[in-house]
Amino acid sequence: MNEYRADIISTVEFNHTGELLATGDKGGRVVIFQREQESKNQVHRRGEYNVYSTFQSHEPEFDYLKSLEIEEKINKIRWLPQQNAAYFLLSTNDKTVKLWKVSERDKRPEGYNLKDEEGRLRDPATITTLRVPVLRPMDLMVEATPRRVFANAHTYHINSISVNSDYETYMSADDLRINLWNFEITNQSFNIVDIKPANMEELTEVITAAEFHPHHCNSFVYSSSKGTIRLCDMRASALCDRHSKFFEEPEDPSNRSFFSEIISSISDVKFSHSGRYIMTRDYLTVKVWDLNMENRPIETYQVHDYLRSKLCSLYENDCIFDKFECVWNGSDSVIMTGSYNNFFRMFDRNTKRDVTLEASRENSKPRAILKPRKVCVGGKRRKDEISVDSLDFSKKILHTAWHPSENIIAVAATNNLYIFQDKVN
Amino acid sequence: MEVQKEAQRIMTLSVWKMYHSRMQRGGLRLHRSLQLSLVMRSARELYLSAKVEAHEPEVPLPPVRSPDPRLHQSREAEAGAEAAPPDGEPTSPEPMDTREAPRAEETPARCAPRPTKVSRKRRNSSLSDGGDVGLVPSKKARLEEEEEGASSEVPDRLQPPPAQAEGAFPNLARVLQRRFSGLLNCSPAAPPTAPPACEAKPACRPADSMLNVLVRAVVAF
Repeated sequence: MNEYRADIISTVEFNHTGELLATGDKGGRVVIFQREQESKNQVHRRGEYNVYSTFQSHEPEFDYLKSLEIEEKINKIRWLPQQNAAYFLLSTNDKTVKLWKVSERDKRPEGYNLKDEEGRLRDPATITTLRVPVLRPMDLMVEATPRRVFANAHTYHINSISVNSDYETYMSADDLRINLWNFEITNQSFNIVDIKPANMEELTEVITAAEFHPHHCNSFVYSSSKGTIRLCDMRASALCDRHSKFFEEPEDPSNRSFFSEIISSISDVKFSHSGRYIMTRDYLTVKVWDLNMENRPIETYQVHDYLRSKLCSLYENDCIFDKFECVWNGSDSVIMTGSYNNFFRMFDRNTKRDVTLEASRENSKPRAILKPRKVCVGGKRRKDEISVDSLDFSKKILHTAWHPSENIIAVAATNNLYIFQDKVN
Repeated sequence: MEVQKEAQRIMTLSVWKMYHSRMQRGGLRLHRSLQLSLVMRSARELYLSAKVEAHEPEVPLPPVRSPDPRLHQSREAEAGAEAAPPDGEPTSPEPMDTREAPRAEETPARCAPRPTKVSRKRRNSSLSDGGDVGLVPSKKARLEEEEEGASSEVPDRLQPPPAQAEGAFPNLARVLQRRFSGLLNCSPAAPPTAPPACEAKPACRPADSMLNVLVRAVVAF
């Protein structure tokens, strides 16, 4: 079921302007796409994304002490806001976070005295005149260099990284701990959350995702495998084991089933751009929480409730452990998440309308309009509907991204990246 | 009965998944292990409650192999942590059982730092005495382990276990044994639904269930 394919996309992220889109894959590679500048000559050719840079971020490693292989799969990529001509991003695998600098070079120096044009040393005896080297234009070259490597701080597997709004620090979270880093310092990190019990047999929950508040540099949230979210304030104490707020919805007894516990595990948590709400994704639903109300979410959206009766089969084929992500659009009015059969879902929070779309080659010729899809739950299946039993569970959309200001979305379907834009009139 | 079978199937499947997850690239995943153990616990509870319901309406004639008292015994004693050999076995393993229990607790803890040594012994014992001993470790193997245990016990206690972190359930085998030991002898004809990834000999003896085999496989790691 799980073929090892190095090109399976494992993370997708737009940068803060939406000009760049980064993807990470199972083979440890990062591919960055850049949006074409819109030119006046080609009005109907809205900025398309083309490959800008490709580099190997992480390599497989071996932990000799534990006899464990460390996967090179990129779990998350997070961009830093642009402060000069270069772009910076953080990429992480299970154990190590790296800060990459991506910069352009379109000029090169020519006219050295001691070297010839190919770089070979010249015989000093042949030099009769001196000249000043000048910068000449060259073909654009984009180079990525690792500027910092933040290693050896995580015993467990890193699931999240998040850049602080102070742009000086960031956090990395694994199953039991969250560490705070300064970008300039690689040999130290502060541990700010530690939920490891003294006796590991008493372990009941793990950290599944974490994110800094978009504006308040002292606040962050982390979600757990028990379906709870904790908001922490770093001003309260150095070790944020005690939360400021605790978000949990009481379980609906009518929904209780054998697999209730594991489907309530939160796979992703995201602050809204406004910072007023958080969105969480568990196996069957997406929930929106108001930071001011801890006892229940303000909105709950069913992603694929028809799977509720199939949980046993999904446990057998391991699909029940899939970790779906969720994203906000730029104005926080629409939320999006993935499903199976290469379907992804969008929920409009204002109109309460939702749509199911499919990312597949057959259904999306360039510039074609995506047709809404429907899953038939039971009874008579209409012509365009697909029945639950025909869904392809190997085609899952776990990672999606939304442009920060425009209606452009990136959807990762296994090893393919789809980019959809709003229709141009 | 259906519920029981289903619960047992899920337990077997979960054990297999846990065993299999240890061999995955990247090592044991804590979250996955936790989720699997939650399912196992739910399945066990379901199995036991279904079992109790099934026996309640019956006339109080205890079944031949009296699984319930055995269940009680193993749970209370806790020393019967090692999978108890089925009835057909000679009684000589009995005293070994209680003595081996503390060993069994330590063995998994030692498993993490020194997996190859322990597992090699077990594998040999099961392979060499093919038809006769089957899956129950031979006396010799146990004695060897005890010797090994005695000599290395002290240093192990002094050091904090280095691989505690990666062994998310460092005493996984112990937990499994403790929780499932009562169940291991109860179902004579459990169909081997799990894939034969481990060194299973499904047809060796009627009393052994796949769960028994899988627990051993996990313990070996």
